[in-house]
Amino acid sequence: MGGEDRMKGKWVQAGSLRRQAAVLLSVALAGGALLAQTAGKSAPVDPSASAERALKLVGQGRCKEALPILQRAMPRLTDKDLRYHAAMGLARCAMARQDMASAMSTLVLLRREFPDDPEVLFVSVHYFSHLATEASQELAAKAPTSFQARRLEAEAFESQGKWDEAAGMYRGILRDNSKEPGVHYRLGQVLLSKAGESGPVDEARAEFQKELEVEPRDSASEFILGELARRAGEWDEAARHFSRASEVDAEFSEAYIALGMSLTSAGKFAEAVAPLVTYVKMQPEDPLGHYQLALAYGRTGNREGAAREAALQKETAARQRPTPGGAAGREVR
Amino acid sequence: MRYSFGRRRFLGLLGGAAAALGRTYAAPEADAPPYFTEVPPAASGIHWTHVAGLSKDMYVPETIGPGGAFLDYDNDGWMDIYLVNSGPCDFYTPPQPLRNALYRNNRDGTFTDVTEKAGVPGNAYGMGAAVGDYNGDGFPDLYVTQYPRSILYRNNGDGTFTDVTEKAGVAAPGWSSSAVWFDYDNDGRLDLFVCRFGDFSKAKAIFCGNPDIGLHYYCSPKVVKSSTCWLFHNNGDGTFTDVSKESGIASVQSRAWGVVAADINNDGWTDLFVSNDGLENFLLVNRKGKFEEVGLVAGVAYNSFGAARSGMGVDAADYDSDGNVDLFVGNIDHESYALYRNLGQEAFDDVALQTGIATATRLLSGWGLKFTDFDNDGNLDLILCNGHPDTMVKVYSPSVDYRMPMVLLRNTGTAWKNVSAQAGTVFNRPIAGRGLALGDFDNDGAVDVLAMVNDGPPVLLRNHAGRSNHWLGLRLVGRKANIDAVGAVVSYRAGDLKRRVVKVGGGSFLSSHDPRMVLGLGKAAKVDSLEVRWPQPGGGVERFQDVPADRYVTIVEGQGTWK
Repeated sequence: MGGEDRMKGKWVQAGSLRRQAAVLLSVALAGGALLAQTAGKSAPVDPSASAERALKLVGQGRCKEALPILQRAMPRLTDKDLRYHAAMGLARCAMARQDMASAMSTLVLLRREFPDDPEVLFVSVHYFSHLATEASQELAAKAPTSFQARRLEAEAFESQGKWDEAAGMYRGILRDNSKEPGVHYRLGQVLLSKAGESGPVDEARAEFQKELEVEPRDSASEFILGELARRAGEWDEAARHFSRASEVDAEFSEAYIALGMSLTSAGKFAEAVAPLVTYVKMQPEDPLGHYQLALAYGRTGNREGAAREAALQKETAARQRPTPGGAAGREVR
Repeated sequence: MRYSFGRRRFLGLLGGAAAALGRTYAAPEADAPPYFTEVPPAASGIHWTHVAGLSKDMYVPETIGPGGAFLDYDNDGWMDIYLVNSGPCDFYTPPQPLRNALYRNNRDGTFTDVTEKAGVPGNAYGMGAAVGDYNGDGFPDLYVTQYPRSILYRNNGDGTFTDVTEKAGVAAPGWSSSAVWFDYDNDGRLDLFVCRFGDFSKAKAIFCGNPDIGLHYYCSPKVVKSSTCWLFHNNGDGTFTDVSKESGIASVQSRAWGVVAADINNDGWTDLFVSNDGLENFLLVNRKGKFEEVGLVAGVAYNSFGAARSGMGVDAADYDSDGNVDLFVGNIDHESYALYRNLGQEAFDDVALQTGIATATRLLSGWGLKFTDFDNDGNLDLILCNGHPDTMVKVYSPSVDYRMPMVLLRNTGTAWKNVSAQAGTVFNRPIAGRGLALGDFDNDGAVDVLAMVNDGPPVLLRNHAGRSNHWLGLRLVGRKANIDAVGAVVSYRAGDLKRRVVKVGGGSFLSSHDPRMVLGLGKAAKVDSLEVRWPQPGGGVERFQDVPADRYVTIVEGQGTWK
């Protein structure tokens, strides 16, 4: 079974992107080992011819020989198709050869020149995942007791839905330094996740408030405190937090829409107009903003404005409407 | 930019999460008698069963029906029952003949199947029923919505009906769901609005599932392409004119499930509220015979995030007696139902969250539903009939079931409480609930319930709670106004109780209701004052004093008396 065949077989069996990335990497590394057994040859002058020759070497798993040829040829390639394949081969061999700088630059090139190509996006997932794994292992090896390493571990627990473990890690960090920026916020997020849609939120709320003591201009904590207030129907409290969030981060568009929605819920339609107008300027393609503004205009007697925003809501919603699918977004054939 | 992590998702979660905080469940009262008991087929004599024809091809209509109706087809003062079945069409050939059923009330709690004599079997894939005396002869007529063509059965007044669909011109080709009789042009005759659920046919049906893993399920109804509803003007000679276009009804694309007719802006012209699946709900405001769709600006089209929900059953009532008709909509699971409080000036506010209704309905999918004062305390409560349209829903949404229990929400005057636990065992029994009709079949003033079940027998519930308070039943007969008095407004005072009740057209899902109004009086033994404001073109107001309680009375427009 050749390298490509083995790889295809592994793809089908692999159960997760992370595992698939590991499989891809191992295959590439195996190719590199084979490559090391073969002596290299000097590249021809014609960049296209040398790139094509190098791609054949890549296909044979001979990355050690192919890599320098591709690195030299790549800047001089003009044919788009050949440039695409050469860059893909270069990225693959650079990963196999642990040449992270070359791998990174080639992936950036691919993302820039072929931004919509599914294969580019696909390999990006695996390669960046691999790079992230490498970096995290390095952090664990070089600074295992650092705040950063512990936080990374906590985030890993979060990604696995292990809320108690994650919360324990964050609390440990805070025992050492309760003023560490961002940690109360993360702990609050974990506690919210653990509480689910209907669980208690007081403990989480307290963490966001502590985060604001550490970092008074933390718009994210302000925002979430606003949402928690809105959950409780405390419109004025919600509006206060959203207003503050938009003050400390003028580009935080969601803070404006949330502020507008809170004010309309409180029946303060006239006050809601300004933040909603700001929001629709920032996010003109979001039907939600136009919808809320139409309501606010309608309630304040601005029939013309309401009609205009209602029309915009329908236009933007139509542009965003996905192809009809099954319930819960399942596949439809 | 830490906040970029999931803050939009957080917003999206708000609807469901927020609902939990408004929880107002009532604990069951020990040893309290149930509000409702089920009348089993052996006791009622109703042995008819709905057959959905659930097939391997899983056509969307198969899990949607059925509906039914309470109607007094023989004018004997006792509510009879009509039940709608599926039937032959391009996607379904029943292995044995299926038919709808008309059950005559024997006045002793039992019913007799008179379908054959009455001649109302249906002739296609039936959905629901709308009852109205369109020709004003005093006998209720029957419109049966079906796929691919509906039927108008004219009541001959002798226990039989005649299919007059073709002459009347109301076949409404396509897949019709709910329908309602109301007088849209104030000429005193009942016109007909018919919900159409998109552009469906067997040829246009699609496969939903994943054939790679052998998974096939019922499509979300949202896959059906939208279409337009129907409005038929009653010409007064047994025929109707399709005025869908000129009235503005056909100017909006729909996947309409439910409709209720009510004057939401108190201008004397009856408006329509229509629920749509995956599209904005319509508030079709009647501008003197032309309809203007104002749902978005009115605040009833979408959820608070400006997203369309899966609107299903609907109803309207002035639940807070503030002089404005409020609206209620059932939606699919995880969307919560909506209670739109009418603020006046054609503006509404969804108060489901703060009233606890969002919590009680978050995992439910609501079809048949109706405001009803089940305990006659003078406050309009809500009864909900629930079920999911996909038999496989549990596979992809473990917290949701295909069969769901009914729910009873009691309006205390200051809050809505989920009192299902006290409502009877049937409220703990999951059913594939669909249509729901209200009617006092035993004439005791306690409004009973008929819940229709997909691919199963109907559930008839006898109300016991209504007897704990006094009541007054009204049969309103229009003369200048439409004979069914759809749109009449009744205001009454009984002791300290002061209420305003509106006679709406339709409401619920695929179903039609007892045309009589039952006014809950609480502990008051009489109605001190009663005012009936008749719909246009009559529009007159008649007032009555000291009307005795616990009986049904008839008030004929213009006669100034009750009897």
